[in-house]
Amino acid sequence: MKGRHYIGLLALLLAGLTLSQGSPFQQRLQQAIQSGGSKFAEAMKQDPDQALCSQYRDKIPAALVGAFLERQRALIKYPADGKLMGDWKQGEALFTNPRKGNCYACHTGDPKEPGAGTMGPGLVNYGQRGTSEAVVKYTYDKIYNAWASMPCSLMYRAGYHGILTPEETAHVTAFLLDPASPVNAKR
Amino acid sequence: MRDRSLWIGFLLALGLGLSIALTQTQELDPYKEAERQRELFRQTAGILPGELYAAQGEELFYAKRGPKNTSLEACDFGLGPGKLEGALTQLPRYFPDTRRVEDLETRIRSCMINLQGFRPEQITREDIKALTAFVASKSSEMPINVVPKTSQEIAMYNLGRELWFHRAGDRDMNCAICHDAYAGGKVRLSPVRSPRQGLSNEWPAYRFEADKLYTLQDRIAFCYESVGIHPPEFYSEPYIALSMYMLAEATRGKNNFTEMPGFTR
Repeated sequence: MKGRHYIGLLALLLAGLTLSQGSPFQQRLQQAIQSGGSKFAEAMKQDPDQALCSQYRDKIPAALVGAFLERQRALIKYPADGKLMGDWKQGEALFTNPRKGNCYACHTGDPKEPGAGTMGPGLVNYGQRGTSEAVVKYTYDKIYNAWASMPCSLMYRAGYHGILTPEETAHVTAFLLDPASPVNAKR
Repeated sequence: MRDRSLWIGFLLALGLGLSIALTQTQELDPYKEAERQRELFRQTAGILPGELYAAQGEELFYAKRGPKNTSLEACDFGLGPGKLEGALTQLPRYFPDTRRVEDLETRIRSCMINLQGFRPEQITREDIKALTAFVASKSSEMPINVVPKTSQEIAMYNLGRELWFHRAGDRDMNCAICHDAYAGGKVRLSPVRSPRQGLSNEWPAYRFEADKLYTLQDRIAFCYESVGIHPPEFYSEPYIALSMYMLAEATRGKNNFTEMPGFTR
């Protein structure tokens, strides 16, 4: 009798946890990840929204999008001085540095830079949008946390992960928007 | 004699002309650049680096080695002991003797342990790579034929698919967001292919940009590294699972292996 009660409870638990960490499949997955060693296992730990993206194969249901975007927007931080456009020259270095922005792995910025990738949209002449407050903020936010405007996008959350500080994010913003930047050079 | 030097002169001039012509396009087409580098090796060395690795592996394969002083000729890659023709095309698969799903590298290691009596820590990565190149060379240009059938193989495929979609790390990466969603694009100069398009069909391969032989495990490790995730330890399940997923998908896409070992950037 007691045993049956226990099994019933276990079944309930299993049903509730099927899609979360506790399901047998998730346990098996964790076991496989652990077999790769502790450093790999550590690096493969997910935050809740990374896990959500994985669960829905990078296409989260419409009903979850609003809350997702809100959570991501709340993560954006701004420079202390409030200036969202910094120095485009420093921005250029961050844009091309593989250990920092690494932006040109996917985007063309300065068209003279050889070997830019084509995974993301080309950004040549991005500055033709002008430098209104709305454009600057949109650009800054996109660089700081790409998931705040597009859930589970390939573009990673550079600011959220601390790869770019708020000041550095402002530099990259300037590289894209400053009329003097090679991105916007008259051609 | 004079004819010959004229002939060589002609070839040199042709080669120079070709390389000048090709330098113009090398930024644009990495496949053509690989082809050009391959031809340069053929011309200057007469042999491809991948073939050297395979020759070294062949020597290791037939040599009596290890505490049991045995060759690897009795190693069963799934087609019967010592059957190497096409062995790579049907790996990974489940092996009842080790009760594991194993890829080529892991299977070679198991045979070195079980047949030759090596202890795991005595087995060098270099030996495994050379042996992998040798066994793979017997599957050159053959159709990939990985179809998960046993419960263990199906479970491994499912794990691989889950890892494929597992987003993690500071770059918020998984395999799918590039290789499925943006297949056909380029990361820097590297063309991105999906598993169905035959991703994984060129490994093991000599990478001229690194001047090293990369097995499929090496290549997966390089992928993890480049997105800031510390790669798994060699021969661990994440490699087997991802290989199983990619090669099963490549099978569905009716892909062949390239020449084996491959030659790529």
